[in-house]
Amino acid sequence: MSQIVVEETTPQDGVKEQVAGRSPWALAGRRLLRDRLAIAALVLFLLIVLVSFAAPLYADHVAHTDPFVNNLNGTTVINGKRVPILQQGGGVLKLGETPIGPTWHGNYFLGADNQGRDVMSRVLYGGRSSLLVGVGSALIACLAATIVGLLAGFFGGITDGILSRLMDLIWAFPVFLLAISVGTVLLTAPNGLALGPIHIQAQSLWLPTLIIGGVYVPYVARPIRGAVLSVREKEFIEAATALGASNWRLMFREILPNVISTVIVLLPLMIATTILTESALSYLSIGVQPPNASWGTVIDDGQQLLYTRPIVAIAPGVMIVLTVLALNVLGDGVRDALDPRAKLRIGK
Amino acid sequence: MLAFIARRMLGTVAVLFAITLLVFAIFFLTPGVDPARQLAGRNPNPETMVLIRHQYGLDRPLPVRYLILMKKLFVTRDLTSYSNQGVKVMPEIVSAAPVTLSLVFGAAVIWVVVSIAMGLAAAVLKGTLFDPLLMIIALIGISMPVFWLGEVMNLITQNRLHGTFLFSWVPPLGYTPLTGDPWMWFKQLVIPWLTLSVLYIGFYARVLRANILETENEDYVRTARSKGISERRVLLRHQLRTSLITFVSLFGLDFGALVGGGALLTEVVFGLPGVGLLTFQSLHNLDLPVIMATVVYGAFFIVFANALVDIAYAWLDPRVRPA
Amino acid sequence: MRNRSFLSFTTLVAVVLLATSCGGGSGSSNSSGAGSSSGGGRGGTLTLLANSNWGPADPAKNYTLQEWQLLIITYDGLVQFRSTGGAAGTELLPDLATEIPKPTNGGKTYAFTLRPGIKFSDGTPLKASDFVTVMTRQFTVPGPANGFYGGIVGADACLKNAASCDLTKGVVADDAAGTVTFNLTAPDPEFLYKLSLPFAFAVPGNTSLKDLGNNPPPGTGPYMWKSYDPQHEAVLVRNPSFKVWNADTQPDGMVDEIDYKFGLTVEAEVTQVENGQADWVFDPPPSDRLNELSTQYADQVHVNPLTAEYYFALNVNIPPFDNQKARQAINFAADRSAYVKIYGGPSLAVPTCQVLPPNFPGYKPYCPYTTNPGDGVWHGPDLAKAKQLVAESGTKGAKVSVVGTTDEVGKAIAQQMVNDLNAIGYKASAKLLAGGIQYGYIQNSDNNVQVGYSQWYQDYPAASDFLNVLFGCPGFHPHSDASPNISGFCDKTIQAEMDAALTLGETDPTAANEQWAKIDAEVTDQAPMVQLFNPKLIDFVSKRVKGYAWSPQWYMLFSHLSVK
Repeated sequence: MSQIVVEETTPQDGVKEQVAGRSPWALAGRRLLRDRLAIAALVLFLLIVLVSFAAPLYADHVAHTDPFVNNLNGTTVINGKRVPILQQGGGVLKLGETPIGPTWHGNYFLGADNQGRDVMSRVLYGGRSSLLVGVGSALIACLAATIVGLLAGFFGGITDGILSRLMDLIWAFPVFLLAISVGTVLLTAPNGLALGPIHIQAQSLWLPTLIIGGVYVPYVARPIRGAVLSVREKEFIEAATALGASNWRLMFREILPNVISTVIVLLPLMIATTILTESALSYLSIGVQPPNASWGTVIDDGQQLLYTRPIVAIAPGVMIVLTVLALNVLGDGVRDALDPRAKLRIGK
Repeated sequence: MLAFIARRMLGTVAVLFAITLLVFAIFFLTPGVDPARQLAGRNPNPETMVLIRHQYGLDRPLPVRYLILMKKLFVTRDLTSYSNQGVKVMPEIVSAAPVTLSLVFGAAVIWVVVSIAMGLAAAVLKGTLFDPLLMIIALIGISMPVFWLGEVMNLITQNRLHGTFLFSWVPPLGYTPLTGDPWMWFKQLVIPWLTLSVLYIGFYARVLRANILETENEDYVRTARSKGISERRVLLRHQLRTSLITFVSLFGLDFGALVGGGALLTEVVFGLPGVGLLTFQSLHNLDLPVIMATVVYGAFFIVFANALVDIAYAWLDPRVRPA
Repeated sequence: MRNRSFLSFTTLVAVVLLATSCGGGSGSSNSSGAGSSSGGGRGGTLTLLANSNWGPADPAKNYTLQEWQLLIITYDGLVQFRSTGGAAGTELLPDLATEIPKPTNGGKTYAFTLRPGIKFSDGTPLKASDFVTVMTRQFTVPGPANGFYGGIVGADACLKNAASCDLTKGVVADDAAGTVTFNLTAPDPEFLYKLSLPFAFAVPGNTSLKDLGNNPPPGTGPYMWKSYDPQHEAVLVRNPSFKVWNADTQPDGMVDEIDYKFGLTVEAEVTQVENGQADWVFDPPPSDRLNELSTQYADQVHVNPLTAEYYFALNVNIPPFDNQKARQAINFAADRSAYVKIYGGPSLAVPTCQVLPPNFPGYKPYCPYTTNPGDGVWHGPDLAKAKQLVAESGTKGAKVSVVGTTDEVGKAIAQQMVNDLNAIGYKASAKLLAGGIQYGYIQNSDNNVQVGYSQWYQDYPAASDFLNVLFGCPGFHPHSDASPNISGFCDKTIQAEMDAALTLGETDPTAANEQWAKIDAEVTDQAPMVQLFNPKLIDFVSKRVKGYAWSPQWYMLFSHLSVK
C-alpha cells in the first residue's frame, strides 16, 4: 500500500547553498537544524520513544500493576473508596462485566481493558513493541533493498532481470494479503519459523518484524536501483573502472556512498509505513502476539469496549497518529536537507 | 508500441502464474492444518477422512493437486470453498466485487475532488499560512491508521452522536446493493467512503502541490505568463494539466490495489462483505481455494493497473519506451 | 457437540435406555414448559439474523445447530424430541412413526410403522423406502458424522466404498405395509437418539445420492425451503402439504414466513432487534452491549443454562501434565471466578470442577479443587495446595504453551490460564489461532499441544456424550485432526467402568447414572482437564415476538414464535 514517488523539484526557497568546502553531510545537518518543524517532529518522536521504553518504570512505580496479568477480581481506590475493576451489569438480569473507566490518577489512569489490565501501562508497553517492530522492519527492508538495488542496478542483465521479476512478484501481491498469509501460516506451523539454525517462536517480535520488513523490500529497492543506474553512468565510475577497480570496490566504495542518501531519506518514511502496517496486522490478530502488546493489539482489545470504554481504543490510536505524523514531518525535513533537488516521497 | 504492449501483457501473465505458485507453496508446504479435516465437517471418523481425501484429490501428488486447482479455477470455474462447502468460489467473488467497487469508486470520487482542491489551494496560497496548514492536515490524514479512523467514525456516528440530528440518518453497518435500495446504498457507504479517502486525500494533495510548484520554473509556464495569459488560466490550463500526469498514473495504481483487496481493513471495520473481507475470512480459516481465487483476483487488478500505467507512460513519453 | 454452531462427536456407545424414558404414546397436549410464554396470533414474517451462514444446507451434510433449528421444522424423523419449552424437551416421541418400537433380536432390530397420509412439500407421499435413500446418502454424500449409522448391517462396506453402498439388508423397507426395519450388527441403545438427529430426517426416495449443496430437498415439516443463498439469506415458507399429525413433535408454525439473513456485524444485529427491524439474533451479543440489554431490554432477553462446558484439555501424554499431581495443581490454581467474569459474569456462567453439567443424567455435584471442598461447589482457588502439588510433582519451572483462540473471550481465557500457570511456578505462554483452525490443531497429537482451550456442548442428553467422547479411549486417535479426546486420556480401569455403565444403561438407566456419577468423580480426580464453567445462553428477541419457547435440545423453537 505504499508508493514512492520520485519527483524532480526546485530547491527550497531561501535555502541557497553558498557554503563551500564543507562535506555534503555537514551541509545537510545544518539544513536540517534550520528546519524548525522537522526538529520539533524529531523531539516528539524521541519523546515517544523515551516514554515507551520507560513503560516498565511507569508500570512499577506509577501504576503499580503488571499490565500483562489479568486482574479480573482486583480492586482500585477512587476518592478513597475501594471499587472493583470489573463491575457487574445492572438491571434485574445483571448481564456482563464492564471494566473501570479512567481514574485519572496513577493506578488505572486510563481505566482497564476487559481483562482488568491497566490501559495506560499497556499503551506504553505497546509503544515499545510497535517501535521495535516498526524500526526493525524498516531497517531490514532498507538493508535488503539496498543490497538488491545495488546488485540489480550494478550488474544489470540477468541479475537485474531475475531480481526485478522477483520484486514485481512481491509487488503484485497486495501487501496486506501477503503479510496476512505469511503471518497466518507461520502462526499455525507447530514450531514457529525455522530458518536453519535460527528458530523463531510464534510469540517472538521477530516474526512480525521479518514479515513486514520482507514485504516492503520492493518498495525501497525500486528507487535505489534507479539511483544506482544513474550513478553508474557518471564519469567518476568510468574513471574508477579505468583504474582497474574491482566490482566490489565499485559497488561499495564508489556507488553505495552516492545512493546511501536515498536510503536515509526513505528510512523515516519507511518507519512510519511499517508502524502503520504493524498496527493493522496486530489489529487483525496476526501481528504481535501475546504476551507482548502493541498499539494495534490494544486497539483490537478496545474494539470490544468501543461503546462503553472508548478510551481503550482511542488512546493507542492517538499514539500511532502522533508517531507517524512526527516521522512523516521528519522525513520531509530529512529529504529537503539531504537531497534538496530530488523529492522522494512515500505515502500510504 | 504494439510490441511493447504485447511484451508487457506477457509479463503480466507470467507474474500471475508465479503468484498462483507462490500461494500454493505457502499454504501447501506448511504443516499444521489438514484440509480434509475442514472438508469432512466436525469430527468425522477416520474412514470418512480417507474418502474425503480421495474425493477431493488430496491424496494426489502436489503438482497434480496444483493443476486440478488451476483447472477448477480457470477452466471449469467450479472451485468450491473448503470451509463453506457447497459454496462455489467464483460466484462468491462475483457477488463480493460490487461491494468493493462501490466502496472504492465512491471513495475515489471524494479523494480526487478534495485532493485537487486542497493541492491547488496550497499551491496558490504558497507563502501564506494556509499552505503549511493544509499540508499539515494532509500529513495527519496520511498518518492515521484507516481501521482506527473507522472505529472512531463508528463510535461517533453509531453511538455517541447517533442520537443527534448530525448522524441520526446513519443506518446500521452493512451493505445494501445499489439495485436494491439506492438511497440506503448511499447512506451506508458515506462513512466508509470518507474514512477510506482520508489517507488518499492527504497523499494526493501533497503530490499535486509539489508537482504544480515544480512547473513554476518550466519554460512553457514562463512563456505562457510572458504572453500575458491570466494567472488563473496558466494555473488551470498549463500547470495543473501537466501535474495531473503523475496524479493520474498514481491513481491508476492505487485504484487497482484497492479494488484488488487493498480496502480489506475498511471492509472489516465497516462489515462490508467485499473481496477484502472475503479474503480475510478465508485466510482466517485457511480456506485455500478462496485464498487462491481472491489473491489471483487481487493480483490481477494490481498487475493490470501497473501494466496499464506503464503503457500509458510509454505512450505519453517515448523516452520510457525500451528499445 | 462442539459448540453452538458446530456439533461433533465420534464413536458413541450407548447409555440411556431410550425405550423406558420415552412415553411411547402420542399425547395431544402441547405442554408449555418453563421457557414458554403465552402465544400470539398466526401470520407475519419472522426475521432472524446471523453474522455468518451455516455452510452446506443438505440435511445429510450439515452439522450445525444453526441450521438444525430450521431442519427440525422443515423435516421429520421417525422419532423426534418433544417440541416444547422446558425440561420436557429432552423427551423422545414417535414422529413419522406410529410408536417407538422396543428393540428385538437382542437389541439389534428396530421395526417402525409409518403414519399413513404424510406428504412431502412437493406432494409426493412419504414411503418406507425413502429411509433407504436417507441412510445410503450418509455414506455417499458423505455425512460428517456417518459413524452414527456405522452399526447398520452393510454400513461398514459403505464406509470403505461409498460407490457400491448397499444397505438393503440393514434398512428393510416395505412400502405396501408402511414398515421400515433397521438391522444392526450389535446392540446400540442410543440408536433412537441417532435417528432423532436431522441426518436421519426423511427426504424423498428419489433424492440424489450426491451432496445437494445449497438446495435442500423437499421435506415434511410445516415449513419448506424457498431459497438458501449463503451470502444473503435463507427463506422458509409454509409447506402446503403439511397437516398436523402430532402437535407434540411437529406443531404447525405460527408465522407464515421465516427470513434468515446473514452478513451483518453482531453489533448491528443487536441494534436492529432493539429497533424492531429484526426479531432475533443468532450470535451471542457483544460484551459491551450486555449492560444495555439487561437494563433497557430485560423483558426481551431470555437467559437459559446450557448443558455445555468450557474447559482446558491437559495433554496427559507429554510433560509436564503427564504427571497427575501437576494436573491437580493447576486445577487447584485455576481462578474460576475470573473465567466466569471473562464470559460475562455470574449471570452468564457458573464455575465447575467436574465433567458433567448440572441437570444432566448422572450429574452429582463434585468439586475437589477448591478452598473448603466437600459441598460440591467451587469457592475459590487454593494456591498453597497447588504450589505444594507442583513441588511434589517435580515439574516446577517447566515451559507450558497454552493454545487458545483469537476471539475476544478465547484470548482472555487463554491469558488467564497463562497467569494461573505462572502463579504456581510454570513458565507459561499463549499461542492463539483462529477458532476454525485451532480446534483441529489441538486435537492432533503431532502438534504436541500441552494445554488446549475447548468447549463441549451436548449432542443429546446422555452422560457418555461427555465422558466417553472427551475422556474415553475410543475418542483418542493419535496423529489425527479428528480426535475429540484432546487430552489423549485413556485409563483402562475407567474405560472398563464406562463400558459397563453403557451396558447397564440398557436395562437399568437409574443404576447406570449412579455409575456415571462415580465415573465423573474419578475422571475429575485424574484431572485430564481443567473445567472452567457451564455457560448460559442469551436469546434477545424483538418486542413483538410472543410464544418464546426454549428446548434444552434445540434451544429456541422457531415454530412456536408468533409476531402478530
